[in-house]
Amino acid sequence: MWWLKDVWVIDPSQKISASRDVLVKGGQVLEISSSLTEKEVLEKAQGESLETINGKGKFLFPGLIDVHTHLREPGQEDKEDILSGSRAAVRGGFTTIMAMANTQPPIDNRALIEFVCRQGERAGYAHVLPIGTVTKGMLGSELVEMADMKEGGAVAFSDDGKNIQNSEVMRLALEYAKLTGFPIISHCEDKDLAGEGLMRRGVASGRMGLRGIPASAESVIVARDLILAEETGGKLHLAHISTTESVELIRKAKARGVDVTAEVNPHHLIFCDEEIGITDTALKVNPPLGSRGDREALIEGLRDGTIDMIATDHAPHTQAEKARPFAEAPFGIASLETALSAVWQYLVLPGRLSLDRVIEAWSDTPAQRFGLPGGSLKPGTLADMVLFDPDFSEVIESAKLVSKARNTPFLEKTMQGFPVMVWVEGRLVQRDRTVI
Amino acid sequence: MKWQRKDILAIEDMSVEEIRHILHTAKVMKEILMRPIKKLPTLKGKSVVNLFYEASTRTRTSFEMAAKVLGADTTSIAVAQSSVSKGESLYDTAKTIQAMRADVVILRHPSSGSAKFLADILDPAVINAGDGQHAHPTQALLDIFTMQENLGKLEGKNVVIVGDVLHSRVARSNAWCLQKMGVNVTFAGPPTLVPVEMEGLGVKITHDLDSALPGADIVMALRLQLERQKSGLFPSLREYSHLYGLTTERLKKTGKQSIVLHPGPMNRGVEISDDVANSVDALIERQVTNGVAIRMALIYLLIGGSSNVVA
Repeated sequence: MWWLKDVWVIDPSQKISASRDVLVKGGQVLEISSSLTEKEVLEKAQGESLETINGKGKFLFPGLIDVHTHLREPGQEDKEDILSGSRAAVRGGFTTIMAMANTQPPIDNRALIEFVCRQGERAGYAHVLPIGTVTKGMLGSELVEMADMKEGGAVAFSDDGKNIQNSEVMRLALEYAKLTGFPIISHCEDKDLAGEGLMRRGVASGRMGLRGIPASAESVIVARDLILAEETGGKLHLAHISTTESVELIRKAKARGVDVTAEVNPHHLIFCDEEIGITDTALKVNPPLGSRGDREALIEGLRDGTIDMIATDHAPHTQAEKARPFAEAPFGIASLETALSAVWQYLVLPGRLSLDRVIEAWSDTPAQRFGLPGGSLKPGTLADMVLFDPDFSEVIESAKLVSKARNTPFLEKTMQGFPVMVWVEGRLVQRDRTVI
Repeated sequence: MKWQRKDILAIEDMSVEEIRHILHTAKVMKEILMRPIKKLPTLKGKSVVNLFYEASTRTRTSFEMAAKVLGADTTSIAVAQSSVSKGESLYDTAKTIQAMRADVVILRHPSSGSAKFLADILDPAVINAGDGQHAHPTQALLDIFTMQENLGKLEGKNVVIVGDVLHSRVARSNAWCLQKMGVNVTFAGPPTLVPVEMEGLGVKITHDLDSALPGADIVMALRLQLERQKSGLFPSLREYSHLYGLTTERLKKTGKQSIVLHPGPMNRGVEISDDVANSVDALIERQVTNGVAIRMALIYLLIGGSSNVVA
């Protein structure tokens, strides 16, 4: 049994943000009280061994749920696999991760869905929940067997990595997915507008001669998908929103009652296009980093609820792939191990976002939207939890990272505020930054 | 001044003092180049490697000539014949060249930023001979050297650069170089090739060439990549040439004896009419000579700094 004493509990699902004592027993949250005496706790332990943690000055919140990770297995295990990715997850404070379907081969049938589930269980760290593709082979034309894949354990459908260019296919997907009750997760990117672009089109791309991707490449598809969701009454989730226009479109659609949720990646809340140097392939990401104005609009959208959740879009790549000229390096940032700390340091500490809002957007809301366990510390629920130490500082070093990837813009930087204990179903999986 | 820079990557991060020093050194180099016996022992025992990932005749030859006049040994690696075509990464190729003890690596590469990428990993000096759409510093330096020869002091002069600015490393490097020297720069061309974000370089932009010409001391036409028409960036050569082609008639609008420059090779009848092209031939030949002088100056400054050929 665990007794976390005098810890600041943040649990948006119960509207708790206060100093509390928390008891965990048998893999579940047993009790959250204002204060407990040792005698009371020992009685509840009923002879079970007890570990007491002094939580003063630290936060306890539900294990984070990341709805957007690329674990690369099967097919690209040189970049990451389900074991290394789920270890990276718990090191970073994530107890549930949704695995994107754009592997090789893509996860487009029940057998592959079950393979991902099975590999996640074998790894035994974060819960790994597979997203299936929307179309067979991710080719954008024929729908997958959604009902069968749901039976196998899929939690959503997405051709992420690629936009569904054919609007009729997108419309049919929103219709057919009603059979499952799951959202279609849309990667909004007009193929022709994005072209061979490398970064957001703007003054910085013009100055460096790096081919630009206009903001409209995302927003025109956001507009299309919102219209299709409204017309069909289907469930839509928009991945990695990055432009001011997209935020505005979503805000209006929500006001009309469209069944849409949206996520934003930490890097779009922290960086902007002006900060990209001509060899900074660690900041080469898709969708590309936007303008300062976009960054402000995204923060505002997350604050007012237009944007529902934060998701990492953890996109691991090998060092050799990123050690290339900008145009030749792949898009993506590996961020499971640094995302929470980055959000703490760059957004919560300066007062741009409250920690309560961050935790809500990264646990309760994703759990609700995708019907997942976790995201709450209600007594009787599985004890997926994070103890976060706001004062813990660490240099992000290659030797310490447990992901296979090193493509993070925070490499060699000192960061502050880290998860120092993480439990999955009451089992301690990370202590003092070391995965157990 | 004391030369400190290890590499020549872009004009953007150079000081005015450095640019003046290069131009001054190039003047001396040009004198050497014009001698009947043009061979110096200065860089004897030094090796210069040309690493060219894009086809180029004049730039590659110009660097090779420059290095040879200074007495260095040169090697050219043309991509098609090397292991690059077998998929070796720029990183690995560069490390191999370093291991062969090159003193200067001259890189031309289709990716913007590749020169800085190389310079960050290599000990030898790197000279950017054109990286993607980003920079072509030696071209800008030879252009400004030629302009100075013709016009003297450049401060306050007006330059109009016409054409496909968006995809042009020559336009970007010239814009930085000219503005650092106090020249007013205007980019002219259709909105698809001269988009508004190019104002970020500090230049004026216009889509109406005729309105930009009055008062122009120099007009530079960029080579139009004919394949851009297929991508829809302009409708036809006919319309392009009608709106932006340099003709004798159009050049009268400057109201001056303006100089016309072109980085070559020219599409005669497209961005420049035949008669204008013929009238600037002499200047273009001069640019080629100046190009060798500028590249001699740069190689000398980067690896021959302790000898006193200039003094």
